[in-house]
Amino acid sequence: MKPPQKKTFTWRAITESRIFLPVVLLLLVLLFDFLFIPGFFNIENRDGDLYGSLIDILRNGSAVSLLAIGMTLVIATGGIDLSVGAVMAIAASVAGILMNPSALRNEVFFVTDPMYTFAPLWIVIGAALLAGILCGLWNGMLVAFMKIQPMVATLVLLTAGRGIAQLITNGLRVQITYRPFALIGQGWFILPFSLYIVVFMLIVTTLLTRKTALGMFIESVGINVRSSYFSGIKEKYVRLIVYVFCGFCAAIAGLVACSNVRTSDANNIGLLFELDAILAVVIGGTSMNGGRFNLVASIVGALVMQAVTQSMYAIGVPAFALQAIKAVVVIIVILLFSEQVRGFFRSFGAQKKEVKS
Amino acid sequence: MMQRLSTFISNNRKIIPMTTTAVLAVAAYLIGMAYFEGLRNPQVFLNVFRNTSYILISAIGMTFVILSKGIDLSVSGVVALTTVVSAALLRDDWNPWAVILLVLLIGMSLGLVMGCFIVYLKVQPFIATLAGMWFARGMCFFISDNAIAIDNSTFKILGQTQLLIPGLKELADKAGTPAPYISIPVVVGFVLLAAAFYMAHYTRFGRNVYAIGGNQQSARLMGLPVNRTLLMVYTFNGFCSAMAGLAFALFVSSGHGLYAPGFEMDVIASVVIGGTLLSGGSGYILGTLFGVMVLGITQVLIQFIGSLSSWWTKIVIGVLMLAFIGVQAVLANRKTGEKALDPQAARLRRQRLAVGLGTAVVLVVLAIIFVPKLSSSSAGNTPEAECVVVPFRKEDAAALIADGAVIAYNRIAGPNCVDEMYAIYPDGRVTGDNAVSQVKKQVTSAEVELLMATISDEYGWYTNEIRDTYHHPCRQCYAHYLIVNRNGQEKGVTAVDGGVNMPPNYGFSLSIIRPLLPVINPAP
Repeated sequence: MKPPQKKTFTWRAITESRIFLPVVLLLLVLLFDFLFIPGFFNIENRDGDLYGSLIDILRNGSAVSLLAIGMTLVIATGGIDLSVGAVMAIAASVAGILMNPSALRNEVFFVTDPMYTFAPLWIVIGAALLAGILCGLWNGMLVAFMKIQPMVATLVLLTAGRGIAQLITNGLRVQITYRPFALIGQGWFILPFSLYIVVFMLIVTTLLTRKTALGMFIESVGINVRSSYFSGIKEKYVRLIVYVFCGFCAAIAGLVACSNVRTSDANNIGLLFELDAILAVVIGGTSMNGGRFNLVASIVGALVMQAVTQSMYAIGVPAFALQAIKAVVVIIVILLFSEQVRGFFRSFGAQKKEVKS
Repeated sequence: MMQRLSTFISNNRKIIPMTTTAVLAVAAYLIGMAYFEGLRNPQVFLNVFRNTSYILISAIGMTFVILSKGIDLSVSGVVALTTVVSAALLRDDWNPWAVILLVLLIGMSLGLVMGCFIVYLKVQPFIATLAGMWFARGMCFFISDNAIAIDNSTFKILGQTQLLIPGLKELADKAGTPAPYISIPVVVGFVLLAAAFYMAHYTRFGRNVYAIGGNQQSARLMGLPVNRTLLMVYTFNGFCSAMAGLAFALFVSSGHGLYAPGFEMDVIASVVIGGTLLSGGSGYILGTLFGVMVLGITQVLIQFIGSLSSWWTKIVIGVLMLAFIGVQAVLANRKTGEKALDPQAARLRRQRLAVGLGTAVVLVVLAIIFVPKLSSSSAGNTPEAECVVVPFRKEDAAALIADGAVIAYNRIAGPNCVDEMYAIYPDGRVTGDNAVSQVKKQVTSAEVELLMATISDEYGWYTNEIRDTYHHPCRQCYAHYLIVNRNGQEKGVTAVDGGVNMPPNYGFSLSIIRPLLPVINPAP
């Protein structure tokens, strides 16, 4: 018998781990901030609540982090969900119209009462989440039961979703004045409230996927659908579940986003967020072909993008030019993930071992 | 009989999606003609092509990409970059032909670089072209933050030349109506279409693309130049995107980095509706033309119906896409022989057929709901096909502020192409004029005071700042120019509905200002 391998903390084990690359990237970005942006790490304490650039990264990244949780599972099954941005808009529209239905009468009316709402808060949130789940169910049905390519199936909702959202709000921007709802995106309990939502969703999802067999089923479906089917996994239901879950996460993200700007704007909420979310998952090391996934790595991926954004703002790069910087980050990630560079890391680790022996 | 029908469908299943699209496009237009006088004008039909020329140009390149089992999200970015680069260079008095050549080269090299990433680094096309889109859009803002107008005689000629159609001209002369015409980008689109048709179906390159899309592994094993072909496909698409960007620049005669948001999805949708499978290897260039036509005709119909908002276009396109995916999936699965008897496959086919039929039913229901609306809105209701967006009346606004107004607000464009200027005075006087008629309204000065207090205190929305995020309004959006003046400080904002970079709480401020304004009836 071989002795138990003692490679838990070797160089190779660390570099091969899924979370290594996103964390290194995040650290690199933070190092850059540390060197070039004075006061980036300052955290202010205002009446017990913490403010600062680092907190902003966490807060502004929360919507994409939520999307990334759902998207990770979808991508792990070998699928993709392009409709999350549109689902965010639908959920936000449902929530907005339930709190301020004046748009349905084709008028924008100004509510001075900060406690005015048409429906109670739990109905507002419940209806928005239900809308997200229904959207996810639709995507899941198309992908799992109709066997339509995920990219095409979700493209339908991407195209039609924003139209549906505008149908709900009658094409108007719905202003949300209801204070308790604003808490979701703007509230602060020492740390921003949206951060707690992300952490809660992360813990729940991790428990669901790692303490039950669901996570293994998802990876198995992503690696090989046919063999999963033959080994008795109901692959259709696994796929359905991940799309429903992704819709659910998108609805939460939509609530966070529209509560943050206190406006339910069907045109702009979640615009192009699907791309950010997919990118976060890819930075997190989940292969677009499906297979193994790591939720924490995906969230770190989302934070990397947000940290880049925040530091560029701090330097004073205009908001739109940021996209070029984002592209550069993507290219760096692509290069780091390419076989050549991975091979280099491996050979480097191997050399070290040789030296030791 | 059923047997023969079934065989017929099986034998022709490759061209059925394309034919369906073509039939649908023609049928939709004919039905529209029955309801609306205006659609019988040949110029309106030609406008479908004029308004979608840049989509067609880009969709041709995208068809090749999708045939090779790839996808290109960067087209909208390249379009925006092309408009900005050409506008900026023309502003610096470059030779227009050199500019055109240069932007085409930029587009091709961007395509080539993305192709290299996809081919040699084995990056997913989705990710590589996403990076390309962000890069191109970001570069626009390194060149210019604001929209740059194109004021060049050559570009004007290219954009505004009216090419008369020989046969139709005589007919129009007889009827005494202005002769219908098309624009140069339309001709470019059709020439490109013909070239692409030849390339796809009569050259080695085209066959390679189909083979790679069908199965890249076997294409490689057959000894086809997979890498080179894929590079060519992405380069060609970059060329088409740049060409589409030029057509777009001629269309709006300006350049800005925010142009054409979500354009790539329009393009992909029209390719899919045109019958090309996103799984690659199957589809026709000609189908793309019909896909684009469906898109254009949907827009025109919705414009003519008038009571429907522009977002119905998106919903209709989504439903159409679903229907076509259903039809295609059924047809793609259709095999003669034993395979058809396989119960699993048969069930799948039934399910897909159900989806296809279901969406068809949805369409019919939608039609039934809206046909009464169609007939009720009078046939004479022909919206202006061309709406010239006037510039903001900034001097007038400044004059109003100097006159003592606290808020000056100019709203332009929108579906009816309005040009309204409002002013709110501290004593409660509210005036509005749309360059034709003038209206007045009196509110209490307390209301104005509350309004100003809300804007400044509640929303923190006034500093001595001028903010300009204007870009060309879509055909349904309004463009707003707002100046708020309080305690000697002034804040000006230029923005368009649906712009992505509004200042914080701008929407709130506008929404509480608008109820105070008088209603201006559109000019008779």
